[in-house]
Amino acid sequence: MLIRLENDHFHLVEDRFAPVGEGEAIADTVAVILSLSRFQAEGEALLAAGRDVGVRMAPADRVEDLICDLPRLALVALDFPKYRDGRAYSSAVMLRETYGFDGEVRAVGDVLIDQAWNMVRCGFDAFETSVGPNAWAAAARRYRHVYQASADHRPPAFVERSQAARRLAAQEG
Amino acid sequence: MFQYDAIDAAMVADRNAEFRDQVSRRLSGELTEDQFKPLRLMNGLYLQLHSYMLRVAIPYGALSSAKMRALAHVARRWDRGYGHFTTRQNIQFHWIKLSDTPDVLDYLATAELHAIQTSGNCIRNTTSDPFAGAAAEEVDDPRVWSEVIRQWSTFHPEFTYLPRKFKIAVTASPRDRTAARAHDIGLVLRRNREGRLGFEVIVGGGMGRTPYIGATIREHLPAEHLLSYLTAILRVYNRFGRRDNLYKARIKILVASLGAAEFARLADEAWEAMDRPRADLPDVELARIRASFGLVDFRTLPPRSERFEAAKGDKAFARFARNNIVPHKVPGYGIVQVSLKGIGEVPGDCTADQMEALADLAERYGHGEIRVTHEQNLVLPHVALDDAPAVHAGLAAVGLATPNINLVSDMIACPGLDYCALANARAIPIAQAISETFADPDRAEQVGELKIKISGCINACGHHHVGHIGILGVDKKGEEYYQLTLGGSGAEDAAIGHVLGPALSADRVADAIDKLVDVYLAIRQPQERFLDTYRRTGVGPFKAAVYQDAHQA
Amino acid sequence: MTSPLKVLTANDLAGGQVVFLSETGWSDRYADAWIFEDPAAADAALDAARAATLTLADPYLIDVAAVDGLPVPTSYRERIRALGPTIHPDMGPQAEGGALVEALQQAKGAARSSGRLGLIRRK
Repeated sequence: MLIRLENDHFHLVEDRFAPVGEGEAIADTVAVILSLSRFQAEGEALLAAGRDVGVRMAPADRVEDLICDLPRLALVALDFPKYRDGRAYSSAVMLRETYGFDGEVRAVGDVLIDQAWNMVRCGFDAFETSVGPNAWAAAARRYRHVYQASADHRPPAFVERSQAARRLAAQEG
Repeated sequence: MFQYDAIDAAMVADRNAEFRDQVSRRLSGELTEDQFKPLRLMNGLYLQLHSYMLRVAIPYGALSSAKMRALAHVARRWDRGYGHFTTRQNIQFHWIKLSDTPDVLDYLATAELHAIQTSGNCIRNTTSDPFAGAAAEEVDDPRVWSEVIRQWSTFHPEFTYLPRKFKIAVTASPRDRTAARAHDIGLVLRRNREGRLGFEVIVGGGMGRTPYIGATIREHLPAEHLLSYLTAILRVYNRFGRRDNLYKARIKILVASLGAAEFARLADEAWEAMDRPRADLPDVELARIRASFGLVDFRTLPPRSERFEAAKGDKAFARFARNNIVPHKVPGYGIVQVSLKGIGEVPGDCTADQMEALADLAERYGHGEIRVTHEQNLVLPHVALDDAPAVHAGLAAVGLATPNINLVSDMIACPGLDYCALANARAIPIAQAISETFADPDRAEQVGELKIKISGCINACGHHHVGHIGILGVDKKGEEYYQLTLGGSGAEDAAIGHVLGPALSADRVADAIDKLVDVYLAIRQPQERFLDTYRRTGVGPFKAAVYQDAHQA
Repeated sequence: MTSPLKVLTANDLAGGQVVFLSETGWSDRYADAWIFEDPAAADAALDAARAATLTLADPYLIDVAAVDGLPVPTSYRERIRALGPTIHPDMGPQAEGGALVEALQQAKGAARSSGRLGLIRRK
């Protein structure tokens, strides 16, 4: 099941991307997802042929290695082989904030509901999970406030506080 | 002192609601133990040797009278009438029921207390100076920066699943009372020549199986860039810290393997790439936090208190004043240290009655403030010297006037195998035996500053690596044995101790400490602490005294 | 070599207290523990306990050895766990006293692992 986050809504979508496993031939579908090493070997030809290409990054893969290709990529899938491996959160934040990637950032692998808010806050907008979209949305929005600025651009507590102070001052003024 | 606002309260309430749901899902069978365990750990609930243990956060070790009363209530209603203050300035309750935990957490929230991030591979409670706001020599109030870090690190989306736990210490005094150099990150606040506040950033210290004193990677980080720079360090660690081996996953291993210079380069690179104005805290929020810490209503008093001086006619008070009261930045005030190391008692333990007595004393004589030290003692940071005799009497009435701060019986000890499921050996009975050996307060004062730290396993919660004398419990052929180290320090002169010799059986430890102390007294030069003498002479004379009968080893 | 004797222990899920499988169900008292002589029976009981995830946490088997005719856990960790904190004799199962508690308190030696039963001895 694939959940997409679009305009603040979580909904189920059909996944038009075909994953390419290690050693498998590349499918005929228009859209494919390759590992980083396959992409580095075969990506150029696929892009030249007008295919939609996504890259699946293992936790140890460095997003720096994608910088030149990011404008041409449809999506980056970040893998959680175990949910306790948190490297992909940094990869997602860097894709969004450091490199300004505005394509899909997809969470794949051991994607659990208890991490929904981490993922959304770090800039993921697609989730391969067995959880339904309503439950996922509720878990992602569990906390009414946040303390830090992150890739989701929610206003942190200190922004809420200064806005509240300004409102109060305006009322009193 | 700092007060939570509606946003802080909502954060805790949302977390407590989430955990209440998770507990009910566990008790109904919807969650298995394997699924539930990391969730309960993120809320400070461990399954220990005999029962569940709940670790409650005491952010930067600062308590109010109201918070202390809430802890007393938890101890009495849901535990067995006591709690244990830890080396991380937190408190642990050792007999909590899982089914009660949601109610305990809701109750704690009414006093602005919680158990968030007291376990798990996330950023833990920030250690800070228990004398903050009271120490004459501090350049700024470190609680301000600790609170900045508390908010930034709470539910940090990028840094909740780090390779391993992560501990930050903040101090603003030349005298380090936080063990900053033994933390994952130690921050020492200073003013530079132009008077600007900045942090010395020390990275990669730590205890455990492979102890390190941290390396300085920035001499003077402008204070306003604290959060962006911390983000850069954590990002480098989150990406490149080892995840294949539990014992090599702390940042100290990454820093040691890369070298401090290369680690610093990576951190700087990440920092340069970041949108720093967005990552750093705006001045207006810093000012809000700062304002809420600066409100102690000190009186104008003469520096010398006649009542205080007159009370020294009482020998017990004079001893207490000598050892437990230190000068305050405001004339006529003192910092009163409350030892939780009564002779033969459990280091760090405090009964509900004692907590309430402390809350009352703090309210009546101490502007309602109480601090927890990483050495498992408590502090009343703002006591007028005129009131010190009354405070002493109040402490004595509940068995809390032990005059032994920084002395040989003021030991750190982890809970050890009496409570902890990870321990290899008991720590508390060893501490008790040593404490009985040095029960004579005249002798203890004659010995002077001597920091003994005891851990029941290599995880080193008892900080044995940085004890002037460190004691590590090991399992040797099915019996509890204890490895001694000498020459460690967790203070500004931080160092890792060196192994003295073969491990000793439990019944030989206190006697060995006695021999070490005798050697020191025999060979010390004027003004030398035990640590100084050891550093001058090396291990030779100490080793000879303990192992003179080699076959006993 | 004969197989070591086994006792099945766990923590009560809701309360957290240490429990032992007795002949009539789970008990807070080590004295009630069922002593398994047959390793296969012990393993079967462990499997059943693992399935009882609604009431138990972390079930496992411990080795015990006869000391003066009383079944004593061979590792000091398990003896402390069966007794309660040694610094608080009023807490945990040890509070009720008795010959078995005394045997546990006085036993010395023996490693965490099985196979070193010979090391266990009375003080």
